[in-house]
Amino acid sequence: MAGIIKISNLSYRYPDGTLGLNNVSFDVEEGETLVIIGANGTGKSTLFMNLMGILDGIGNIEIIGLPLNKINLKEIRQKMGMVFQNPDDQLFCPTVLDDVSFGPLNLGWDSSQAITASQKALALVDMEGYELRTSHHLSFGEKKRAAIATVLSMNPRILLLDEPTSGLDPRSVSKFINILYTLKFQRQTLLIVTHDIFLTQEIADRVLVFSEEKSPVAIGSYKEILNNYDLLLKNNLVHQHRHRHEEVVHEHEHRHGYMHEH
Amino acid sequence: MFKIVLPELLFMKSTDNLLESLDPRAKIVSYFAIVLCVVLTPITHLRDFALYFLLALAISFLSRITPKQILKKVCILIPFVLFVAMFVPFVKEGHICCSLEIGIFRLNVTYEGIWTFLNIMVKSSLSILLLVIASSTTTFPDFLKGMDLLHIPRLIIMLMSFMYRYIFVILDEARRLIRARSLRYFGSRYREQFRVLGYMIGVLFIRTFERAERIYHAMILRGFGGEIRSLKRFKLSYKDILFIIGTIVYLACIVSGLVHKIEHMKVNNTHLWQGL
Repeated sequence: MAGIIKISNLSYRYPDGTLGLNNVSFDVEEGETLVIIGANGTGKSTLFMNLMGILDGIGNIEIIGLPLNKINLKEIRQKMGMVFQNPDDQLFCPTVLDDVSFGPLNLGWDSSQAITASQKALALVDMEGYELRTSHHLSFGEKKRAAIATVLSMNPRILLLDEPTSGLDPRSVSKFINILYTLKFQRQTLLIVTHDIFLTQEIADRVLVFSEEKSPVAIGSYKEILNNYDLLLKNNLVHQHRHRHEEVVHEHEHRHGYMHEH
Repeated sequence: MFKIVLPELLFMKSTDNLLESLDPRAKIVSYFAIVLCVVLTPITHLRDFALYFLLALAISFLSRITPKQILKKVCILIPFVLFVAMFVPFVKEGHICCSLEIGIFRLNVTYEGIWTFLNIMVKSSLSILLLVIASSTTTFPDFLKGMDLLHIPRLIIMLMSFMYRYIFVILDEARRLIRARSLRYFGSRYREQFRVLGYMIGVLFIRTFERAERIYHAMILRGFGGEIRSLKRFKLSYKDILFIIGTIVYLACIVSGLVHKIEHMKVNNTHLWQGL
């Protein structure tokens, strides 16, 4: 399998001097689902911003064989789409169809092509019939799905999803996981940033753990990573607080969203 | 109130009708011409305003929007104008028409004030009527595309587009801030309250600014290069040309005083006929 994304020695510092990324290196294979987990502020979203060329870090990034630079930026953005954490940032047009067709139209597709692609993308996220709905009147779960459609309509080879399940109710999460499975079965390359261990367990082929030093500390299959209790504990993905098992309330370290026995 | 009223007022779609099928450019040019004439006509030409009103009625007939729908929207907007204009008869200096005594206060109503009040109300009502018809027969994206095709600066169009889209989000944010404040507010001096209000405005500004940045990123990641693209392709048809020409000819007749002349001729003819 060919590495569709190759990152080597990527570092980024924010204008105020805060370290965003520290010497990040890893590859992503075509068609795989890589879930990036880490505590808050470990640089996961900063990594996505660097991959999309919004932030300009030091190091080498190669996407679909193209080095990330100003010359290739447009082509890379056509082939790699990003879904933001907050769907209100992604949906800025008056209607869902306008939002979903925004990308295709800006790629220079004609109206009929853009409409076909948009309808296909909306069908994929189970939102057929929402075309003329007003974007800001949708529920949060619907907004999240519409936000994915806005990127899928551009037919990208790689999809980056920033905290896709945050703020969703359980039913919306399960709908979302179904969508991700559909994409996975279509051999779509997926990069997902999350702290949702349940989602990771459900969808990941490989898992990359980001440490508080803003760099990856481990990469491996989801079984290897999620069963490495010490790794998760060290990287703040395992917590200790009081919780309940039936009628017994007690305290010990545990992984959120990960069922365990006593 | 905003949550219910604003979406209703701004650019909703009505049923298929002739006016809706017109190119947005034709509508923008025609409405702009009408509003311009209405604004520039002196209030003393009341007959001209009646003719403008007739034109607005004819357009609303073409739009096939029910009078109830129009009235409902007009009635929401008129009070705002009324609120601004209601003080004018008391404030404007001039010849006193009558006086109102409220307790120890004496308010003088002037003729000039009444005329200014009428001027504001008549012109605003006509403009609002046209705005309501325009917004009920043109979707907002079409309206923006029409403005773009008329070479209105893109910056203005983008600002309008974002204002329409994000006013609700910002109102929601403002509402959340107000709620958070009121839940922790147990009475304090006015000075303290103003200080908190200042913080809230600052926070709202920063949040809005940051959101604007994120939206811009979302746009450029989807290929945005400054050009507004729409799914619809607009082409001026003979209907659009007829609509523009018809409106402008009608306006020209009013503005040039041709209507008065024709009326005068009729009177003369009558005299002539009677003389014969």
